[in-house]
Amino acid sequence: MSNSLQYLIRRLGFYSIAAWAALTLNFFIPRLMPGDPAAIIFARFRGKLTPEAMIALRETFGLTDGPLLLQYFSYIKSMFKGDLGVSIAYFPEPVANIISTGLLWTIFLAGTSLVISFIIGTLLGAIISWKRGGRLDSFLPPSLAFIGAFPYFWLAMLSLYIFGFKLEWFPLRHAYSDDVTVGLNIPFIFSSIYHAILPATTMILVSLGGWMLSMRNTMLTTLGSDYITLARAKGLSSWVVMLKYAARNAILPNFTGFGMALGFVLSGALLTEIIFSYPGQGYLLLQAVRSQDFPLMQGLFMTITLAVLAANWFVDIAILFLDPRTRK
Amino acid sequence: MSKNLISIKNLDVKYITNKKPVHAVKDVSFDIKKGEIFGLVGESGCGKSTVVQSIIRTLNPPAIITNGYIKYNNKDILSLSVSEVRKLRWSQISIVMQSALNALNPVLTIKEQIIDVFITHKGMSKFEAVEKSKELLELVDIDRDRLESYAHELSGGMRQRVVLAIALALTPPLIIMDEPTTALDVIIEREILLKILELRKSLDFTILFITHDLNLLLEFADKIGVMKKGELVEVDITKKIKLGGEKEYTKKLISSLPSASGKRGIEFFPEPNLPSKTGIPMLEMKNINKEYLIGGFFKKKTLHAVKDFSLRIFKGEIIGLVGESGSGKSTIAQLITRLETQTSGSILLNGTDLKRNRSKNVSLGYRKKVQMIFQDPFGSLNNIHNVYHHLSRPILRHNIVPKIKLEKYIYKLLESVELSPGKLFAKKFPHEMSGGERQRVAIARALSVKPDLVIADEPTSMLDVSIRMDILRILAKLRNEHNVAILFITHDLASARYLADRIIVLQNGKKIEQGIAEDLIQSPKELYTKQLIAAASPGWLENAILEQ
Amino acid sequence: MNKNSILKRWGRGIIKNKKASFGLYFVSSLIGLSIFGPLFTLDPTAFLGAPLSPPSLEHFFGTNGQGQDVLSQTIAGARQTLLVAFTTGFFVVIIGAFIGGAAGYYGGKVDDFLSLIINVFLVMPGLPLMVILASWLPPGPLTLAGVLILTGWAWNARVIRSQMMSLKGRDFVLAAIISGESNSRIIFVEIMPRILSLLASSFIGASVYAIGAQVGLEFLGLGDVSTVSWGTNLYWASNDLALLTGSWWTFVPTGLSIALISFSLTLINFGIDEVTNPRLISEKNWKKELPDNTLNNGVTPVVRKNV
Repeated sequence: MSNSLQYLIRRLGFYSIAAWAALTLNFFIPRLMPGDPAAIIFARFRGKLTPEAMIALRETFGLTDGPLLLQYFSYIKSMFKGDLGVSIAYFPEPVANIISTGLLWTIFLAGTSLVISFIIGTLLGAIISWKRGGRLDSFLPPSLAFIGAFPYFWLAMLSLYIFGFKLEWFPLRHAYSDDVTVGLNIPFIFSSIYHAILPATTMILVSLGGWMLSMRNTMLTTLGSDYITLARAKGLSSWVVMLKYAARNAILPNFTGFGMALGFVLSGALLTEIIFSYPGQGYLLLQAVRSQDFPLMQGLFMTITLAVLAANWFVDIAILFLDPRTRK
Repeated sequence: MSKNLISIKNLDVKYITNKKPVHAVKDVSFDIKKGEIFGLVGESGCGKSTVVQSIIRTLNPPAIITNGYIKYNNKDILSLSVSEVRKLRWSQISIVMQSALNALNPVLTIKEQIIDVFITHKGMSKFEAVEKSKELLELVDIDRDRLESYAHELSGGMRQRVVLAIALALTPPLIIMDEPTTALDVIIEREILLKILELRKSLDFTILFITHDLNLLLEFADKIGVMKKGELVEVDITKKIKLGGEKEYTKKLISSLPSASGKRGIEFFPEPNLPSKTGIPMLEMKNINKEYLIGGFFKKKTLHAVKDFSLRIFKGEIIGLVGESGSGKSTIAQLITRLETQTSGSILLNGTDLKRNRSKNVSLGYRKKVQMIFQDPFGSLNNIHNVYHHLSRPILRHNIVPKIKLEKYIYKLLESVELSPGKLFAKKFPHEMSGGERQRVAIARALSVKPDLVIADEPTSMLDVSIRMDILRILAKLRNEHNVAILFITHDLASARYLADRIIVLQNGKKIEQGIAEDLIQSPKELYTKQLIAAASPGWLENAILEQ
Repeated sequence: MNKNSILKRWGRGIIKNKKASFGLYFVSSLIGLSIFGPLFTLDPTAFLGAPLSPPSLEHFFGTNGQGQDVLSQTIAGARQTLLVAFTTGFFVVIIGAFIGGAAGYYGGKVDDFLSLIINVFLVMPGLPLMVILASWLPPGPLTLAGVLILTGWAWNARVIRSQMMSLKGRDFVLAAIISGESNSRIIFVEIMPRILSLLASSFIGASVYAIGAQVGLEFLGLGDVSTVSWGTNLYWASNDLALLTGSWWTFVPTGLSIALISFSLTLINFGIDEVTNPRLISEKNWKKELPDNTLNNGVTPVVRKNV
């Protein structure tokens, strides 16, 4: 197992580099922009911010008069302490507090719908590649590609309009209704699930086609290989050949792809939250954009990056269990 | 007369394409008696694998069987339903596939790939199936603990044994073997074949053996069928085929088989000329070592591909470098062509040391002097460019002839490798030519810059047997006409014998033995050389059985 | 070049392919409409009627919250959106080809370094990064394209790198090296034409990505909201509470246009895939030869003509 451990440590090393790169980008973006960042902020918020807020803002960005390197180190230091600065829009609330209120909701909504979408999509991909040329195979890819061609948030708008506004089947906004108490109680759980159904469904629908097509492609390559021919020649049933021999192998590259595409697919999920006024990271992002709350934006970028990196590491662990070649 | 176990009549198989269907098997009929070893021989693409896969009906789309019968114990397999075919598979007919590495699923253990046979066909419990699988592995001389291994943890020979074990699981009356030893080296091939023959004695099964290697079949088959372009040219008992058979094609196949034993057939080549070996060699390798770092980020292993290798090539000389896969012979080619850099040692061209510079910064002058012909004539030509492009680029790059004379020079070059008219061939794309024609273009490209040395890395091994000799003949002719030195790299001692003046035998990156070609063949000193010669000489399998 | 060259064959295949030609037809007509359409429509920024009036004979797609004609806005919006999308697609392919190509071709330390950069950009979530960049930069199409290129190039670079890695060890490349060709010639004359179909489909894929991401950014209010584009149309629709007032016509036409062009582009990619993978077509023809609904169930079908 020492090889597996090395593999995991190596991946962890890569994620630390990626996290450091995100931190550094965060630090340098304001400084690389045309003009002096402090001046830009002053100009944009003239008269809107109290002098105390202004000082807090400077501290968040490390925009002191010290040399750049010193600014950089003090910035990194505060980031390690989990100090993401103070929000402008919700002054004087610290950014970390604001983000933590939305984090669980995003993980709940985006996380579950991504996983469901990946599972269903991969299964569909395996099935249509197995029965390729069949009715499902000629119907599903183009229709899901068509649905996937819509922007996430537009489809969210449409479904909200039809099922929420017109038909009133689902609530229009928020993650739970006002009349339940937050906590581990049945009404609250039901209410959260009820509120999540519509946004989750739109997210799943839009992203389904991508997973399905990539599974179909890897399945097609796998089905042409000798070990499938041998498995068939052994007289095994169709299901055994498909699940044990073909899908088992074809899913591996898709797992890696899942990790890689996570950052991209998550973007759509964030926009969907906005439409449903879902109190997650996406909604906070909109608030940050509207009020030009730079500390909040940067804090969100950091948190979401870390979440994606963590998810990728879990994918690595899953691959370790599924592919014996990585253990060697 | 014993009964026919399987009887194929008028079999036709077509592959549907986006244009006209490809008629891969045309009207093939033959019978296999119970207990027989039936060999089916033919060049790659002749349809022999298609025939055997039709028997268990595992041909993938777009294949369709369009005519004929395949009677197994008098029952037509082609009329069976899907579930009947599944029942027949493995319990009655099993198959050993060509490459064991590809035939085993890389992410499943050996155990998982054996037990499902017992569970599906015999309805065994998992525990019983595992016990049975352990016995099975021991039958092919593999430790029972290996059951938990994955394919990548086994050596090539062991993998082939595992695949053989899976085929024996239900001891079916008929086992199809599709090139089961092609990917293996000579010594392992011998072990596996002996094992198969031994098991056949105890388990009593019939064998349908597919190969491109007629020599191999002559060793042990009872009956041989010769296929060409989808048709069965001739079927006869091995004795008659050995004498040349009745059909022209069979005669040509038999006569084009070079042998490493007996007298050298002069009808192929004139006697070698041994150039004077005085003065400065054209190319010299001195104590070359090449190590590769392989493996992961933390644990690096060193693979010592070439060990303390020295070589001197004089102008106009042909040296045969003989070794099996993994012997380091291709690495030597890459070192000379500077695609790789040696770990230690030096390479001298006309007496001047080539600094260990990076492969991509080799001087143009060196590129002009040393050229190469690759093994795979399709891969070495870029399929988006035509022949003219392939030949004109090096000529222009090295200013061999002025631009106005380029066209004529190219046509002449093509005609010198027997592609005439040159004008016609210059316009062709790689996919419009046969393998032999493509390899001639590759030879013409190597010669286009008038080099001093041509490295020929297995130039015939991907070609059909019937045209291999032509390519060797062209190489011999070019040496005489241009006084170019050739380093002929091959796994086939017999063809080196005919083309080379001197032979060097390599094993595991080390030079084992060297000498004048005919002397080395007639009186080898090292055991390994003797084994190689024995494996390329008729009657070797019988001798090996006697030895046991 | 004669008619048997692979590239010409692909070209002919694309034209003959149903999906690809359908997609090409739609994409080129939408491009045409975006260029010449605005000459014939009403002024998309003018106040022309009562705000949020439903579709009528006067305004086929109704008016939006500013009393502007939705049809004119949809047509005019295509111009900037498509321009930004195709510019992004182009640069994503160029950067991907250079960085991915160099990483794959040179290997070793060059590859270690470039792959690290590629992978870091891959795992970083796109939207939040785009949001930060776009908030600091002055709003407008240039910022949009720049931000989209910066966050979108890595995927393509990764794909091209792996293709390059598999091609650079091939014999035809080694043969070119041995014949003395320069690296740049090997990359651009010998290798790049071999992956032309990949480059084409990457361009299309990147353009589709750019349409979606761009519309998303503008929807958040990060575009120049005074210009007319598909993204700003949706921004205004949401700002003017299209959902709560039930004025579906303010966002449906733009959304359908986005989907139509993205889908058409995707169809072209399906077509390219079919043309360069003859196996897919062969299997379709194979199915036609078989009687009933025989599926590929692992048993070779038998169709005896004379029985």
